[in-house]
Amino acid sequence: MRPFGGTLSSELGVVAPTLEAAPARNRVRFLALAMFALLTLLAGRAVQLAFSGDPLAAPRGAAAAAIPRADIVDRNGALLVTTVRAFALTAAPALVWNPEETADALRGVFPDLDRATLVRRLGDRSRQLAFLHRGLSPEQREHALALGLGGIGFEAEDRRVYPNGALAAHALGFTDIDLNPLAGVERGLDGAIREAGAAGRAVTLSLDIRIQYALEGELDAAARAAGASGAAGVLLDGRTGEVLALASWPAFDPNEAGRASDNARRDRVAGDVHELGSTIKPFTLAMALQEEVTTTGELFDLSQRLEIEGAPIEDHEPIEGLATLRDILAQSSNIGAARLALRLGGARQRAYLERLGLTQPTRLQMGRNEAPLAPRARGRRDVAALGFGYGLAASPVALAGAYTVFVNGGARVEPTLIPRAPEEEIARTPVFSPQVARQMIAYLRAVVTDGTGAAADVPGLGVAGKTGTAEKPGGAQGYQEGRNFSSFAGVFPAANPRYIIVVTLDDTGEGASGGMVAAPVVARTLRRVAPMLGLSVAARAAE
Amino acid sequence: MDKAQLRRGLHIAAGLIVVALAIGLYKAKSDAARTEAHVRQLEAQIAESEADLRALRAEIARAESPANIEVLAEEHLGVEIGSEAAALPEDSLARRLPAPEPEAGK
Repeated sequence: MRPFGGTLSSELGVVAPTLEAAPARNRVRFLALAMFALLTLLAGRAVQLAFSGDPLAAPRGAAAAAIPRADIVDRNGALLVTTVRAFALTAAPALVWNPEETADALRGVFPDLDRATLVRRLGDRSRQLAFLHRGLSPEQREHALALGLGGIGFEAEDRRVYPNGALAAHALGFTDIDLNPLAGVERGLDGAIREAGAAGRAVTLSLDIRIQYALEGELDAAARAAGASGAAGVLLDGRTGEVLALASWPAFDPNEAGRASDNARRDRVAGDVHELGSTIKPFTLAMALQEEVTTTGELFDLSQRLEIEGAPIEDHEPIEGLATLRDILAQSSNIGAARLALRLGGARQRAYLERLGLTQPTRLQMGRNEAPLAPRARGRRDVAALGFGYGLAASPVALAGAYTVFVNGGARVEPTLIPRAPEEEIARTPVFSPQVARQMIAYLRAVVTDGTGAAADVPGLGVAGKTGTAEKPGGAQGYQEGRNFSSFAGVFPAANPRYIIVVTLDDTGEGASGGMVAAPVVARTLRRVAPMLGLSVAARAAE
Repeated sequence: MDKAQLRRGLHIAAGLIVVALAIGLYKAKSDAARTEAHVRQLEAQIAESEADLRALRAEIARAESPANIEVLAEEHLGVEIGSEAAALPEDSLARRLPAPEPEAGK
């Protein structure tokens, strides 16, 4: 085909200008080729769409499942926190006929709303939209809708719900109405929770809600009975560092966190530090054995009180006759622990305390990990006091983390709220030798069988541990005799140690020692949770 | 058929194809718009269903909470929390359940 061929030229007897027509032909060919290429592309895309679907539609599917904050579940998949649809009650003031009548009608459904505030917001015509109430359930929305009020509307929003109420409240934490995290793992794992929410996944914690329930129940009963101002409990798998239960008392309902007092919302496991008292003594003995400043066969005369730089150190119940290391721990001798600490010296003692994690904040995935109060010892008096648990304030979870040395052949494992994968490599900080750790388990068992921790015993389970009774700071003497911080730190089962439990009760009265008020909590809790951990206990004798 | 006729025929055919393509494009676009609206509606339904599902899951979790189970265990099985019975193996619970009712006609 020659669109600009030389027909006319030949008719006129002129030489055909074929050379001029050639560029035009090329343009047509180029155009045809371009159209062909375009049609080929379109056809290719049509085939792609026919066989593979629209790739642009994929993110849409994922977006449908996305939520601003992910569900949180326990290690067995039990739902602990979720995000549900909620509604905000709004008003367009320009459309509200009578603010007073509207306010009165709304208060019929929401009696907690303040009338004066409602009237002011409903009458403020300078604003297009006013928020009157947040976080309404679908039922509340239906009730409000049934009023048929002009100018009243609803905006969809999300609300965090904690189905178990107060259970594990301090561990889980809570958010504000706009889902900003304020405490607990909601804050500590905020990034992971948002990321998992966007991906439609849940965040799994190492907690076991059944064990949590048992620990909280026993802690609550004991704290009330002892008249304590606060209490804390933590149970962890010492081999992996996984926290199975973490309880603070008094409790609060995170669904209504705003109504709870600051005291109830306070996390006492990672967010509170106290002088731990005699629960530190096992470390003093282990340090002494490790540094070979004593032997298992050494005998001590502890009948006389010790005086260091004018400060007397004495035992609550002096040990008559010669005492072994076992006796020092079982009878919780301050004099014995102080003498061993003095043999070690401040520098070595400090190095061990650092490796035990008692001088730095823990790294638990909570909103706040309180830093310990761990000043360096300034003299022999401080070194001796540190030997039996004074002059060092740490959190209960830090103490539990330190006790992992007794179930890991002398190495410490950091407590965590994230479950470990089966083959995951766990970071271990060597502190003591396996031989020293084994020896200490025998001594800790003796505390329960023959010493101050008898009330923690659970026949058939083999609980080993140490009681602690620290006088609280304050008063003219520096410490108050009538106010105690009572605790028990335990390891079980003694035959094959794996789990750690720490129970503390704050501000218990005079005479309420750790062995009297904290050790029974451990026994009652372990009796309940042993079957959940695959451990058996002996049947109780008939009462 | 001379070349001019052939060319005219081709022009007409090309014109018809263009018209057909234009109609096809219009139809495809309107179908796509309709489908998109349908997809949006389905997405809204899915989001609604998921919200309902999450609310139901929360209800289930509330019903299955240890505190609730404790009450049910006390009411129906006579198991006191912290008692010896609470530490019994799972299969022993069967013995505490009420006897099965006899089937009708037997």
